[in-house]
Amino acid sequence: MTDPIAAVRQAFPDALLATEEAFGSPVITIKPESLLEVGRFLRDDPELNYDLLSSLTVVDRLKLPDYNASEARFVGVYHLRSVARDGDLLEIKTPLPGGDEPVAPSVTGIWPAANWHEREAYDLMGVTYDGHPDLRRILLPNDWSGHPLRKDMPLGGERVPFTVTWDDEEFKHLGKQIMQPEQRLEPVPAGMDPKHMILNMGPQHPSTHGVLRLIVELDGERVKNVEPDIGYLHSGFEKQAENVRYKDFVYYTDRMDYVSAMQNNLSYCVAVEKMLGIEVPDRAQTIRVIMAELQRIASHLVWLGTHALDVSGTGHALLMYAFREREEIMDLFEMACGARLTTSYMRIGGVSDDLPPAFIPRMLEFLDMMDKRLVEYEEMLDENPLWRKRLQGIGYLSKKDAIAMGVTGPMLRGSGVKYDLRRARPYCGYEKYDFEIPTSDLGDSYGRYLVRMAEMKQSVRILRQAAAMLPEGDYLLDDPKITPPNRDLLDQSMEALIRHFKLFTEGLTPAPGEVYRGIEASKGEMGFYIVSDGGAHPYRMHIRTPSFANLQSISMMSKGHLLSDVVVVIGTIDIVLGDVDR
Amino acid sequence: MGLESYLPETGVVTTTLESVVNWSRKNSVWPLLFGLACCAIEMITTGTSRHDIARFGSELFRASPRQADLMIVAGRVSNKMAPAIKRLYDEMAEPKWVIAMGICATAGGPFNNYAIVQGVDKIIPVDVYAPGCPPRPEALLYALTKLQEKIDREHLRDHYPQAQPEKTEAGVYVANTADLPPLP
Ligand code: SF4
Repeated sequence: MTDPIAAVRQAFPDALLATEEAFGSPVITIKPESLLEVGRFLRDDPELNYDLLSSLTVVDRLKLPDYNASEARFVGVYHLRSVARDGDLLEIKTPLPGGDEPVAPSVTGIWPAANWHEREAYDLMGVTYDGHPDLRRILLPNDWSGHPLRKDMPLGGERVPFTVTWDDEEFKHLGKQIMQPEQRLEPVPAGMDPKHMILNMGPQHPSTHGVLRLIVELDGERVKNVEPDIGYLHSGFEKQAENVRYKDFVYYTDRMDYVSAMQNNLSYCVAVEKMLGIEVPDRAQTIRVIMAELQRIASHLVWLGTHALDVSGTGHALLMYAFREREEIMDLFEMACGARLTTSYMRIGGVSDDLPPAFIPRMLEFLDMMDKRLVEYEEMLDENPLWRKRLQGIGYLSKKDAIAMGVTGPMLRGSGVKYDLRRARPYCGYEKYDFEIPTSDLGDSYGRYLVRMAEMKQSVRILRQAAAMLPEGDYLLDDPKITPPNRDLLDQSMEALIRHFKLFTEGLTPAPGEVYRGIEASKGEMGFYIVSDGGAHPYRMHIRTPSFANLQSISMMSKGHLLSDVVVVIGTIDIVLGDVDR
Repeated sequence: MGLESYLPETGVVTTTLESVVNWSRKNSVWPLLFGLACCAIEMITTGTSRHDIARFGSELFRASPRQADLMIVAGRVSNKMAPAIKRLYDEMAEPKWVIAMGICATAGGPFNNYAIVQGVDKIIPVDVYAPGCPPRPEALLYALTKLQEKIDREHLRDHYPQAQPEKTEAGVYVANTADLPPLP
């Protein structure tokens, strides 16, 4: 077993400020001056090999109870994983000098994936990264003032009036918070040559899968450069999280990657449960696996339908087919929790309700159908000359680049890296299931197509096993501090009523500390980094979403191709803008 | 058979221009092809086979605002996106209508924070609000039928408010065409 703490201590005895263990993964605090050399060592050391930058964020300590003004206010937090060593996680923290105007060395030279993450931290926290190639706002409009995630910034928003009259305060500001379109005319982005054709694509465009905007530099039809402009769906999830109680944030998570709500729920619950140190009952674990895998199929179906639609006109039929199957999954979700899209089915400690008796038979019927339908799709596409011509060789991403860019999920596996957190770092009992991790060495869009199709088959396989092994028992943990009592008890027992009342007025309070947990969502690693100050609201929450990290490589993948191939590349990355922008 | 079976022998029907125009408009409301957030997924679902928005004549989602009659604001409107939405709306040709789909587009929804505009009606006029988070496809279809009812009640001159009819000496009302915008 390689011990990163010992290795760093040995190599850089002076750089280390503190070491600790946070819920099973090591955390080292180092001096900011040594960040780059330690980082390079951690990446290049053959034993340690932390080659994937999972997430990068900053914590503002201003309102923490143990903060005093003589310490650094901002702390940079880096989560590294080693792909070769089964996603072994290491957290690096470094206090940032500069007081209210913090400065940090940029790690883009070590992990190119840091580029967007650092821009995000600059945008939302106001940290300046020394040596960053292109430090400017990423999510918020360019002329925004202030950095919303700082602790001295208010949540914002408006008081909601219940009876609206024209005299109301709110109409005084009507439209004033909106910029006029002409204010937003931007110069040609840095690095683009005005001699070439600069084409704007989006934020309203049929093929950008939402409100993505791309600025494309073209030489004839050839793409020279692609510059994504994101943030059109930035909804302030992280700030919102700091203002709601732990259990209430479950409902928000649905609305990030809205085509895989179940997995967002799961990712969040897993992180909070880790923090609380609770074990979820077996039945709940299995139900979670069922939901997560159904969701994976549903999400991949949306990808397949929209991708085929973008690529060729004949794809419209496939969109209809894919959504037909997806509707079946929506029906299953509705049976379990009453909602189709924004499910909020997972709860901290289990799931919100037991599966109805008809669920499993209906699901097995669906799986039988899905088996046949998947074969049908493959017959439609695998050998389809149009499909192959448009996908093969387009959007190539080598193994090395994929890891360096922090790409995860089917994208990484499509570049031939056998890495899946369900296997590498099992959660919810994934170690009990027998499934394969499909990969493809092609590294192009076609390879990723093959991977996703194979993944759906594996999900079907996992679902059959889960249905067979679904144990009896509780679907929700029974812990007075964490979960509400059974509804029926409320009429009978005073104690239950008090427990319910306390939980819904105060909420649950994890001990001070921090946690990072990632799961394998449909699109890649979805991770929550939560800092608790012992209160009922998270002190700071950072969400590592797969689409954000994956989208970063779009420029690399589309260079040299034709303009129409950019659409293929967007499709193959499988982005959801709610997930990118948060 | 269809319409033909209702026609009288002579093949002549008397009606008002307004009802014919409204009848045709309300049954071919083409939405603008764009979605913002989660609600957009339900909007797409409304367009696919099970819910089949084509039953209401609205299956032609147009990617160009110039060809669209209806803007379905499906999702939350961020401060960064708001100017783009305003511009898209302005680019749509009259007559045009707006459905605010979901609680976010209606009033900001769960996101009362710095990033989200508290309801798209702060920047563009909304005809029908579809509540829900997200509204089910059926709810969107219901909103669409509500909009159709509304279109049915519209008056042609509503879209040309300058053209006030004047009474001539013969007691006939004629539109004052001098004020009308020139024909394209
Ligand atoms: S109303 Fe709900 S489902 Fe619709 S965009 Fe808002 S959060 Fe998403």
